[in-house]
Amino acid sequence: MTDQMSHPAPPQPPRLRTTWRAGRRLALLGTATCAALLLAACGGGSAPGSSGGGGDSAAAKDTPITIGISLPLTGDFSQPGGEAKRGYQVWADMVNADGGVLGRQVKLKIVDDASNQDTVVADYTKLMTQDKVDLVLGTFSSLLNFPASAVAEKNGYVFVEPAGGAPNMFSRGFEYLFFAQPATAPHQADVFVDYVKSLPADKRPQTAAYPTQDDPFTRPVIESMQKQLEALGVKTVFSQVYPADTTNFQSIANTLKNKKPDLIAQGAVFEDGVGLVRSLKQLGYTPKALFQTSAPSNAGQYSDGVGAANTEGVFYTVSWNEQAKTPLNPEFVAAYGKAYDAALPAEDAADAFAAAQVLQKAVEATKGVDQDKIKDWLHANEVQTILGPLSWSAKGEPQGDFILAQWQSGKVQVVGPADAATSETIVYPKPPWS
Amino acid sequence: MTELLQAVILGLLIGGVYALMASGLTLVFGVMNIINVAQGAFLIFVAMVTWWLWKHTGIDPILASVITTPMMFGLGWVLYRTVIVRIRGSSPSMSVLLTFGLALTIEGILNITAGNKFKSATPSYFEESFRVGDISLPKSQVYGFLAAMLVLAVLYVVLTRTWMGRAIRASSQNPSGAALVGVGATSTAALAFALGASTSGVGGSILSVLYPFFPASHYDWISRLLGIIVLGGMGSLPGALVGALVLGLAETLTATYGSLRWATLVFYVVILAVLLFRPQGLFGTRLREDVAV
Amino acid sequence: MHRLGSVPRSHLVALLALLVLALYPAVQPYDTYYQTVLFTTFMIGVQAVSWNIISGYGGYISLGHSAFLGIGSYTAAIIALHSGVNPLWVAPLGGVVAVVLAVLVGSVVLRTRGHAFVIITIALLLSAQIVATNWRSLTNGSDGITLDLPPWSRDIQNIPFYLIMLFLFTFTVLFSALIRRTKFGTGLVAIREDEGKAAAIGVDTTRYKVTAYAASAFFIGVAGGVYAYFLTFLNPVGSFSILGSVTIVLAALAGGRGTLYGPVVGAFIVGIGSEMATVYGGSSSRVLIFGLALMIIVLFLPDGLLPTFQKAWRRYRPADTEYTDQAGALGAGTMQVRDRELASAVVADEVEASAEKLAGKPLLEVKGASKAFGGLVAVDGADLVVKQGTITALIGPNGSGKTTLFNLVTGAMKADSGQVWLDGTRIDTKKPWERGHMGLARTFQTTRLFKSMTVLENLVAPLPDAKWSTMLKPSVAGDEAVRARELLAFVGMEKFAAQPAGALSYGQQKLVELAQVLMLEPRLVLLDEPAGGINPSLVGRMVEIVRDLNRQGVTFLVVEHNIPMVLELCDPVVVFSHGKAIAEGPPQTIREDPAVLDAYLGDEWRPPAVTGTPAASDRPQGVR
Repeated sequence: MTDQMSHPAPPQPPRLRTTWRAGRRLALLGTATCAALLLAACGGGSAPGSSGGGGDSAAAKDTPITIGISLPLTGDFSQPGGEAKRGYQVWADMVNADGGVLGRQVKLKIVDDASNQDTVVADYTKLMTQDKVDLVLGTFSSLLNFPASAVAEKNGYVFVEPAGGAPNMFSRGFEYLFFAQPATAPHQADVFVDYVKSLPADKRPQTAAYPTQDDPFTRPVIESMQKQLEALGVKTVFSQVYPADTTNFQSIANTLKNKKPDLIAQGAVFEDGVGLVRSLKQLGYTPKALFQTSAPSNAGQYSDGVGAANTEGVFYTVSWNEQAKTPLNPEFVAAYGKAYDAALPAEDAADAFAAAQVLQKAVEATKGVDQDKIKDWLHANEVQTILGPLSWSAKGEPQGDFILAQWQSGKVQVVGPADAATSETIVYPKPPWS
Repeated sequence: MTELLQAVILGLLIGGVYALMASGLTLVFGVMNIINVAQGAFLIFVAMVTWWLWKHTGIDPILASVITTPMMFGLGWVLYRTVIVRIRGSSPSMSVLLTFGLALTIEGILNITAGNKFKSATPSYFEESFRVGDISLPKSQVYGFLAAMLVLAVLYVVLTRTWMGRAIRASSQNPSGAALVGVGATSTAALAFALGASTSGVGGSILSVLYPFFPASHYDWISRLLGIIVLGGMGSLPGALVGALVLGLAETLTATYGSLRWATLVFYVVILAVLLFRPQGLFGTRLREDVAV
Repeated sequence: MHRLGSVPRSHLVALLALLVLALYPAVQPYDTYYQTVLFTTFMIGVQAVSWNIISGYGGYISLGHSAFLGIGSYTAAIIALHSGVNPLWVAPLGGVVAVVLAVLVGSVVLRTRGHAFVIITIALLLSAQIVATNWRSLTNGSDGITLDLPPWSRDIQNIPFYLIMLFLFTFTVLFSALIRRTKFGTGLVAIREDEGKAAAIGVDTTRYKVTAYAASAFFIGVAGGVYAYFLTFLNPVGSFSILGSVTIVLAALAGGRGTLYGPVVGAFIVGIGSEMATVYGGSSSRVLIFGLALMIIVLFLPDGLLPTFQKAWRRYRPADTEYTDQAGALGAGTMQVRDRELASAVVADEVEASAEKLAGKPLLEVKGASKAFGGLVAVDGADLVVKQGTITALIGPNGSGKTTLFNLVTGAMKADSGQVWLDGTRIDTKKPWERGHMGLARTFQTTRLFKSMTVLENLVAPLPDAKWSTMLKPSVAGDEAVRARELLAFVGMEKFAAQPAGALSYGQQKLVELAQVLMLEPRLVLLDEPAGGINPSLVGRMVEIVRDLNRQGVTFLVVEHNIPMVLELCDPVVVFSHGKAIAEGPPQTIREDPAVLDAYLGDEWRPPAVTGTPAASDRPQGVR
C-alpha cells in the first residue's frame, strides 16, 4: 500500500542483512524452517533501540520523518479506519506543503490490519522493530488500540491515539499513551448535564430513560449522565443496556411509550440510534428531549436514516464540529473537501488530524523524535488542536470538554459550551415527530 | 395488558417474516441434506440489492422482491449447477464447508462493493403505523408480514400442486425411486436450491426495510434461521412456520419482560433444549436413515 | 512390517523444523517481528491440530472452534485479575474449563448423529460472545479485560511467548499423534467413515465423539491464556471472532484434514500467508480471500495439500507393498484354514464349551417386535427364537422386514415396541456397542468396511469391551494383531493385510468383514446376505467357513436369498413375510410347505437335490 521506506541508518553495529528488504525476508518465512535456518545462519543480533526506534535528531535534514500507522481499512472497523486515514493524510499534506516538521518532510507508512487484533500487533511490531519508523500514531477502535498501545509501551514509542476513550484504557499505568480527544467516555456528557443544570428547575426534565448499547464508548457516557442527572433530581424510569447486534427497537420503544419519560438519553453508536427513533415514531411517542451519543454526529447518514424532519431538536455531544472556530479547523475542512469530492470530514477524520497535530507539536517543541522527550513534554504541556486545547493526566487521560450539538432545521448547530456556540436558540421541548 | 398484547403482536409479525426466511433453508435441507450456511448471506445480499434499487430508482423495497426473487432463483440455479453440484455425493460436512465459504465470499464482495456500513431502506411508510385502539401496528412490519405469508402460501402451492413441486418432494423422500420415474436428481436438486434461494429474494427485500444491515449481519441471521429449523424440525415446512412464530414471540417477550441483552440468547437456548429433549424438532419425522443411534 | 530403525521421513523433517524454530530466538533475539508472526502461526497450529482431532479424525466439523480460545483467554485473565497471579501460570486452567464446556455441550449434541453438531458449534461461538458481553460482573462486559504488561525486560520482548507457544504447539502435535495411534484414534476414523458400522463393532460412538471434542478443546484453551497475556487485552468481539474459526478450518483443510501433519503445514501456510497478504496485498478484503480459498479447497483440493502432494510423490516413486495377487482368497487359503489354526484363531473360549450340551437353549429371542416408518410397518409384532448352536436362516421376499429386524436386534434402530433378549438378558434398551460387547455381531448386506483403512486396521477396529484402558491401547499391536492375522488367514485373506479395504473385490470384502466381526469373539453372528453378489466359488468358501465356526460353537442367524445355499447350510429356516415369521422348521419341511411356496418361493422354484442330513427337528409351526 505505501512504499517501503529506506532505513534512516540506525546507530547500531553493521549487520549482514541490513540490505535485505523486509518484504523479501518475509517471503522467506514462507518456508518457515528454511527461513529460520537462514536467519539463524546470518548470526549476530543487534541491540534493540532502548528508547524506541529512530531517535536520532542528527539524521540528515533531507530524510523524511516516517510515521507508522496501522489502520482497519478493511473488516469491521473499515469505516472509521478509512476516515482516520483521510484525516492523517490531510494533515501530512498540509504539513508538507508548509515545509514539513523541523524542516523534514513527513512520510506516512499506513498499513491495513483488517480489523484484526493479531494483525495490528504484528503491524506495529513490524513498524517499530523492523522498519524502525521515527514515530507512530494510533489506530481506531479500542479493540485494536488496546493491544497496539501495549506494543508501543513495550517498545517505548509514544502512542497518540485518535480513538479509544474507554475508561480502562487509562488504568494500566502506561506512560507513552495519549488520547487525542477532549474527554474520556465518562466525561463526554458533562456538557449536556451542564445544560440541564442551567435550566430553571420546573423546566428540567422530571423523568428520564437511559437505553444504551453495550459499547465501551457509549455505555460509560450514559451511565455517567444517569448518575449526574439523578443527583440533580431527575427520576430514572428506565435504564437498560442492549446488545450491539440488536436490530429490533420496537420492544424498547413500546416500553418507553408506556413509561413516558421526559428525556430519552440513548447511548447509540449509529444504526441503533436510527432504529430507536424510527420505532418511537412508529409507536407515536415523542419525549421532551432526545439525547443520543454518537449516532447524530453522522450527519448525512443520520438524517437519511431517520428522515430529515425527525432530526429536529436531537442533542448529542461530540469531540469536534466542522464549524468550530478552533485554529486551523477551517483550513482542515477546506483541505479535506478539496481532497475528497467536497465531502465534509467525519469526526473520526478530525480526531485523527488532531492526534497528528499533537505529535507534531511535541516533536517541534523537543526538536527531535526522541520518544522519551516527547512523552515528558506532552505530560507537561497543553496542545492546541482543531478540537480545542488538549492536555493529559499522568495516565494519558485528556482533561477537556466535549461540545454539545443539536440538530436544528436540518442542520447541526453547536449549542454549548456557550463560548463555542454557533446558535443562540436551543430547541426544547422537542417538537412531535413529523 | 396493552404492553403484552403489543409484544405478542410484534412477535408474531416478526415471526412470520422469520418463517419465510427459514423456509428456503429447510427446503434445501429436506431435498438435498445440505445445510446451506450461505442462506443468511443471500438475505443480506438481496437486502443490499434492494437498498440500491430503492435508492436509485425509488421502487418500493418490498415490491422490489418482484425483481429480486427471479434474480435469486436464477442465481441459485447457476450456483447449484456450477458450484454445489460438484460436491454431490461427498460427505455432508463438505457441503457445510462449501456453503460457509460461499457465505464468506458474498460477505467479502459486499464489503468491497457496498462498504462496511449499516444500511436500511426507508420508504415513506416506514415510520407510520396502523392504530387499533392502543395497539400500534407498524406499517412496514404489517406489509412485510403479509408479503411473507403470501409467498409462503405460493411456495406451499408450488410444492403441492405443480409438477416441479411434486418432483422436488418426491426426490426428497426417495431419490432413487424418483429417478426411476424420470425425475432427474440433479435437475430437481437445482430447482430446489433455486427455489430455496428465491425465498431469500423476498425475505431479503423485507429485511432491508425492517432491519438495518451490513455485510457481516449474515452470521446473526443464519444462526437465527438455523435455530428456527432445528426447533421446527429440519426439513419440515410447517415446522419452520411454527418454529419461527415461537421464536419471534420468545424473542419479543424476552426483550419486553426480561432483558433485551439476553433476547438473542433465547435462540441458542432453544436450540440446545430442543436437541436435548426432542432432537427431531417439533414437526420432524425420523426417517429410515436418521433413526439410527 | 516396519523396516528396522526407519523412522518415517515426515517425523524427521518435523523434528528438524522444531529444532530450528526452538533455536531461532537464541540466535536472533531481536527479530521481534518475525517472532510475532511465528507466534501467531504456532497459535493457529495449536488450534488447527486440535480441531483435526474431532473434525479431521472424527469427521464432525466444528465451525466455532475459536470459542475455546476465547474461553481459555477469559479463564486465565479472570483468575489472574482476581488473584494477581501471572496469567501464564493459570493458562492450563483455561484448558480445563474449555474441556468441561466441550463435555457439557458435546454430551448434549453428540448423542445423535448428523447435522446438529455443526449448528451448535456456530451457536456456541455466538452465545459465548453474548455471555461474555452480558455477564459483566465476571467478564467486565464489552469493556473487556486489560492485563498488565509482562514483567520481563523490554529487551527480550516476545521471546517467552514465542517459546511457550512453540512448546504448546509441539505438545499438541504429539498429543494428536498419540491419539491417532490408539484404538481411540482408529475408532474416530471408523466413526468418520461409517458411524453405524462403528457402533456395530463395539465402538461406543457417543463416548468417542465427546472425548474427541473435549480433547480438541484442551490445548486451545491453554493457548488462549497465553494469547490473552500476549495481547494484554481481551474483549468479547475479539475473543469470540468467527474469522478466528475460519482461520482454523482453512489451515486444517489446506494442509490436509485427517492427517497428522496436514494441519501443521496448513498453519504455516495460513499464518505466514495472511501476514504476507497484509504486507503486500493492500486493501483487499480478508473475508473474501478466506471465503474463496475455502471454496476452492473444498471443490478442487478436498484432501488438502499434504495428502495430494504425498499421492503425487508416491506415483512418482511407488513404495513397496505387500500386495500380491487378487486370487489369493481362493485356492491355497481354503486348505490352510482347515488344516491349522482353527483352535487358536477363532473363538477359543467357545471350543471348550460343549456345543452339544448347550444346543436347544434359546440364545436370541425376539418378542413381539414392531417397527414402522411413517405409515409403513416394516416389522409387525415379530417373534423369533434362535437356539444356541444352530445356523438359523431367515428368508422371505424383499421388503418383508428381515434387515429391519436385524437392525432392531443389533440396536442400529430402536423398536417401537417389543423386546429383544440375548442369552437371558434383555438387550433392546442397550446401545449397539454394548450388544457388541455381549457377543452379538453382524455383517451387512452391502459390506461396510472402512475403506480408507487397511484390511489389518479394519480387523483391529472392533472393540471387545467398554473399558477406557482398551480405548487407549495402541491400535495395531500385540496379541491382537497376531489374532487379526490368524483370522485373516482363516478366511484366506492374510496376503491383503496391508491393502486399503476399498481396493478389494466385493466378495473379498465380505470375507474380511466376517473376519472383522469375529474379532469380537461373538456368540451370535447375524449374516445379512453373505452370498449376495459374490463369485460362486466364494459362496462355497463362505459356507465352509460358517460351518467351521458353527462347529466351534458360534451360532448364526443368516438372511439369504440364495435358497440352495440356505437349504444346504441352515437348520432351522424361518420364513418372514409382511414383517413377521409365517413358518419355521427344518429345510425340507419348509421347502414343501405350500404356504411358504405361495408366499415366497413361487411356482418357478424347484427343489434341488438335498445334501447332508438335517438334524431332526420340530414340526413346522405352520402359517399364522
